[in-house]
Amino acid sequence: MEKYALIVTEKPEAARRIAQALDKEGKPEKVEEKGVPYFNAFRDRKLVVVPALGHLYTVVHEMGGRNYYPVFSFKWAPRYLAERGAKNIRTWLEVISGLAGGAEEFIDACDYDIEGSLIGYCVLKYACQNKENNAKRMKFSTLMKSELEKAYDELLPRLDFGLIEAGKTRHEVDWLYGINLSRALTLAAKRWSGRYATLSTGRVQGPTLKFLVEREKEILCFVPTPYWTIKAEAEIKDSIYEAEYEKERIERKADADAVVKACEGKTGEIKNVDIKKFRQMPPFPFDVGSLQIEAYRLFGYTPRGTLNIAERLYLEALISYPRTSSQKLPPVIDYKAILTGLSKDSSYRGSALTLLGKGELKPNEGKKADPAHPAVYPTGNLPERPLSDPEKRIFDLVVKRFLAVFGEPAVKESMRVNIEVNGHLFYLHGRQILKAGWMRFYEPYIKTEEVLLPPLKEGETIRLRHVIREDKFTNPPPRYNPSSLLKKMEEEGIGTKATRADIVETLYGRGYIAEQRIFVTSLGFDVTEILGNYCPNVIAVELTRELEEKMEQIQNKSEKRGSVLVEAVDRLKPIMEDFKEMEQAIGEALSNAIKRARMQERIIGECPNCGTGKLLILYSRKTGKRFIGCTSFFKGICKTSFPLPQRGTVKPARRNCRACEWPLLDVRIKGKRPWALCFNPLCPLKEERKREVQNL
Amino acid sequence: MKCKICDKEAVGAYCEAHEKAHTNLVKEYNAWKKALEISWKEYLSEVAKNPYTGSWVKEVAEHLIKSE
Repeated sequence: MEKYALIVTEKPEAARRIAQALDKEGKPEKVEEKGVPYFNAFRDRKLVVVPALGHLYTVVHEMGGRNYYPVFSFKWAPRYLAERGAKNIRTWLEVISGLAGGAEEFIDACDYDIEGSLIGYCVLKYACQNKENNAKRMKFSTLMKSELEKAYDELLPRLDFGLIEAGKTRHEVDWLYGINLSRALTLAAKRWSGRYATLSTGRVQGPTLKFLVEREKEILCFVPTPYWTIKAEAEIKDSIYEAEYEKERIERKADADAVVKACEGKTGEIKNVDIKKFRQMPPFPFDVGSLQIEAYRLFGYTPRGTLNIAERLYLEALISYPRTSSQKLPPVIDYKAILTGLSKDSSYRGSALTLLGKGELKPNEGKKADPAHPAVYPTGNLPERPLSDPEKRIFDLVVKRFLAVFGEPAVKESMRVNIEVNGHLFYLHGRQILKAGWMRFYEPYIKTEEVLLPPLKEGETIRLRHVIREDKFTNPPPRYNPSSLLKKMEEEGIGTKATRADIVETLYGRGYIAEQRIFVTSLGFDVTEILGNYCPNVIAVELTRELEEKMEQIQNKSEKRGSVLVEAVDRLKPIMEDFKEMEQAIGEALSNAIKRARMQERIIGECPNCGTGKLLILYSRKTGKRFIGCTSFFKGICKTSFPLPQRGTVKPARRNCRACEWPLLDVRIKGKRPWALCFNPLCPLKEERKREVQNL
Repeated sequence: MKCKICDKEAVGAYCEAHEKAHTNLVKEYNAWKKALEISWKEYLSEVAKNPYTGSWVKEVAEHLIKSE
């Protein structure tokens, strides 16, 4: 049988792209064995390109069993042994092993980063029977034909063991922390209450939840203080302009009233006119974090959602590899070729041709670099299929950011006119863009509000038609959202660009946090408090950050996997010993927390009839049916009750009906679109809808 | 001893959370007094109905209004 080179990729779509790029005629043969696709391609020799499905191997407990802790012995094993939903992995590995038998050379073509390198390594080591030491490596940042051909022609002679060791260590350390702490929490609660509830924490999860709890506490303990601002309507040549008082904040109401009294209807004199011109440099190219933040700001997409979309665009060779921390675009990516490619689309033609007409193309780069990949950029390819709306938006954003970074600086002018009125100063502000520069390439993602003032000179008089006192209060610190939380994690140096978005999703999944403007649930609060009381190291940012730095050092080969693992275990052991000693107390506290959280989940809001009780989702003892009842019923005060749908799930929506202000419920029934239910039988919206139906 | 508001373990008159809220409530009275020349009672009712007030502070303010 003809021998071949076996190329391992991270995902099926990448396998298809790579096979297509490397096949002499661009038409590789697709084969499917037991549902696993792979491709036969012919170049200088026969190539078989087989995909993984992301991670096929994972860290598992060497001894097995679930109901005890601590556990420190582990091994790498196929995912189907550890996860219930991963049965197809067994077939997948059988097919890869079968193909490995006929191969004479092995090439790892997984994404060039920690996770990709680890995926390729595990497949080569375990599924291909220890081929990791003589395998070669393809290194690329896009799935463009030219780049893939170059990566194949210039194969790296060996795998990047620095990345692999760093990846292995990260998975092993995270497993050690995750399995021990989560198991300890779950078992402590179960042993106390006899009821099972999944609780979890981890090396990054714990400190991240702590940030959120700290912010929540600040908000819950916040006392607003009053202050006042003053605005004036300045009359200039039959037009009205808004002027601001010199002090941004006045602490006493009496002082604010005195200013209003002294200036209302009075004429002032222009004391001076300050005009400043300044340049605004183009933005930096996107690294994964800034792309996620911008996509959240503009479209409200979660970091995880943005990453998923960007990965799809990468697999279709529309953009470069998105999991990068680089803000640099090296010339080797060929700016001109990309712009020429983009100019084939009418919506980018104008901008691309303008930039191509410039003499030299120099991107405005940021400081952050990534040894494996450049910043995110469009490949110059245009979509071959109609993109979904979110894909279109992310693609457009990446393209426009790429165009903008090559633009000229924008030139802006600001003008401040100081008007003295009866001993008080007011400011008129003007803003104008003199030269849009890069900003026109980045539209509509940059908003420019201009305020044009008429020509004004020192000594001119201006009448303040109205002087208005505005009553204000200081605001609590803002809640985190998924995007600002990601930024905070990055600033604190915890997690990696690849894992942060998943950690945030896990916190939502566990019911520790809720909503886009994140609030911590009572369960999230209690778990953090319990951990803080009994094992504070688990939620200490410093510990996580230190381990994070050590794992980075493994990548640079200045630290060894073995010593980091030993250190991680040394730190974890006393934590687990303390936990074990206090398991009963922790179990009791956790059980109470779960009970409170379950009760909290059923509370809908204040009872609109008695005003003293709370409305709860209850179940009838007689019929088992669910309904809404008032807690004051048990005190004999209130008999309020409302029926509920009996199918699907019903949860308090934590928002009120726009018509009657009663609390809403989220109802989900399989096969139906979820809806918000207002249970007020007299809600005006219901009447309105009835009338609409009648009119039809 | 139990917290007067939520029945959790108290560190003084209140649990840790309500104690912190109470400290903040007392601390900010000076700013309100200076700004509006209002009494402690008026301050409590203003804070209790302010939409920016944190829930723990609101609970303390409402408790103080009822008990004073």
